[in-house]
Amino acid sequence: METQSPGPVYVIRMSLMFRIQHILLIFTLLVLAVTGFALMYHENWLGQALIRFEGGVLFRGFLHRAAAVFLMAQMIFHAYYMVFSGEGKRELGEVMLRGQDFADFLQAIRFNLGSVTEYPKFGKYGYKEKFQYWGATTGILLISITGVSLWAETFSMKFLPKVFLDLALIVHGYQGLFAFLILLLWHVYNEHLHPSVFPMNNAWLTGKVKAEWLRQEHPLEYEKLKQEGVL
Amino acid sequence: MKRTRTLFIPLLLAAALLAARPWTAGAAAPGVKECLECHGDKTIEKSLPGGKTLSLFVDEKAYRNSLHGKGACTTCHADAKAPHGKLEKVSCGKCHPDAEKSYSRSTHGKGHAKGNADTAWCTDCHGKHDIRRHKDPAALAFRLNIVGVCLRCHNDRAIEDKYKLPGQEVMAAYEASVHGMALKKSGLMGTAVCPDCHGNHTILPGDQPRSATHRQNIPTLCGKCHPGILEKYEKSVHGKGMRGGIADSPVCTDCHGEHRITKISDPTSSVYPKNIPKTCASDRCHENAGISSRYAIPKKRFSTYMDSFHGIALEYGMTKAASCASCHGFHEILPSSDPASTVHKNNIPKTCGKCHPNAGPNFAKGAIHVEVSPQKAMGVFAVRLFYTIFISSLVVLFVLHVGLELHGRRRRKRAEEGKKE
Repeated sequence: METQSPGPVYVIRMSLMFRIQHILLIFTLLVLAVTGFALMYHENWLGQALIRFEGGVLFRGFLHRAAAVFLMAQMIFHAYYMVFSGEGKRELGEVMLRGQDFADFLQAIRFNLGSVTEYPKFGKYGYKEKFQYWGATTGILLISITGVSLWAETFSMKFLPKVFLDLALIVHGYQGLFAFLILLLWHVYNEHLHPSVFPMNNAWLTGKVKAEWLRQEHPLEYEKLKQEGVL
Repeated sequence: MKRTRTLFIPLLLAAALLAARPWTAGAAAPGVKECLECHGDKTIEKSLPGGKTLSLFVDEKAYRNSLHGKGACTTCHADAKAPHGKLEKVSCGKCHPDAEKSYSRSTHGKGHAKGNADTAWCTDCHGKHDIRRHKDPAALAFRLNIVGVCLRCHNDRAIEDKYKLPGQEVMAAYEASVHGMALKKSGLMGTAVCPDCHGNHTILPGDQPRSATHRQNIPTLCGKCHPGILEKYEKSVHGKGMRGGIADSPVCTDCHGEHRITKISDPTSSVYPKNIPKTCASDRCHENAGISSRYAIPKKRFSTYMDSFHGIALEYGMTKAASCASCHGFHEILPSSDPASTVHKNNIPKTCGKCHPNAGPNFAKGAIHVEVSPQKAMGVFAVRLFYTIFISSLVVLFVLHVGLELHGRRRRKRAEEGKKE
């Protein structure tokens, strides 16, 4: 038996900066989803109720675009922060996709199927977190480009044939649906329903996780922190 | 010489007038004064079967001011003597043969000939002893009074039911219509009142080809007051079809309604911007599969429109958004194959440009009504299909992954516990 300290040891997983970004993102994406799906499913009673709730079709559009501008501003700030700040650079290094991630994914599947005995050892971010992060990033980029081209339709019409706007509308809507489902299913599973964090991983509020949780779920990060003397 | 002539002419005129006075012709013929000795009494009346009474009073003042006021009672009541019993029915046709002839062909005239007491006869619309010229504002048949005269019978539920006539709601619709309001509110002489559309003496039901309100006569009828619109309509695909005998072609009333015609700015109007798509794509017209195939008109125009930006915006009350008519035109609608059509492929940039100044020829390439099918819009169809498959397969894979992981986790837990021990 190991000797245990009286209380559990905590480590910082999300700095205040990232917690603020994360909360703003939740709020913005919620507004965008609710206002966007109202229009996408406008023939449906729920869509119609939402449009009424959002103050009619005109105000719905205003809300959606206001939230979109806010989201794009967050995206630009986030990119800037990730590339130029000390903390951002470290995080970018952690979340960067590597060949190892795919290998980890395959190994996890094999382990779950019972064909290997070792579960992959993850760093600060495993393939699940990375998939979420880069999926959301590509989605937001794609949805921003199509969204802006639809918003500035007078400008777009100068260069683009109508069929492009038809396609942009489809991509915008379905990409939104995709992002929403991933958030709902993947994120809710990983951060709420997963047995190791149930009912919720509190890191998004407190920024902290238990060192023991880190040792079990992200052992490479645990080792690294130990070597750095943080633990 | 001059003096004798000036005296002679009035004398001659007086003699002529005296000779023309009908009551001087027969010894027994009574003058107006004599008739009024009895008929000037307000209480004079006749008992009818069933305990009812009929007033026989003639208001002298009203008679004197009437169109016939300078004549004699016996002109119409030729068999009147003093005293007299029941007189013969007056015949207006003696002096007004044309009116009688056209009246006899009308639905009222035919009913009257059968002895039907409910149907309107001359005096019902023109009055009896108080007849005035129809241009006289005090006349029953004056433009601004005639609607009330018609409604005396046509707003009577008993008569409507008995003869299966259009009901009170139709009459109420007229009163609320743009024509009815112009009459009631503004007293406009130029507005359409009942006889303008239905005719006066020659009124016939609308299902008879000779009726002014028969479908095939409607454009000409409305064109009497709206000639500029008629001119455009005649050149349109609908107008040409209608004149060519294609019964499916819409006439004015198919889009605008009949008695209920309202201004386009009225939200209840069938041609209010928000209601235009439903009016064009009613079950009878552009949402009717039979019409589409018979005249080789593209299908699904309504649903593709309602799914578009314009359709959604319009549905939610942004009346600025383009409706059918914004692109296709109103009265001057032409098929897209016609080079003069606003939706001919050469004119589409200009048509879009009415609202979107930047929409040039490049923008106008491709389909406007996007029917998402491989034949009509491959690109949109493929992208949508891709996303549908992509999203649903990812959801399935994700659920599988969760299941697998929960299963594997139990193994991991057991392995870890084993290690600890």
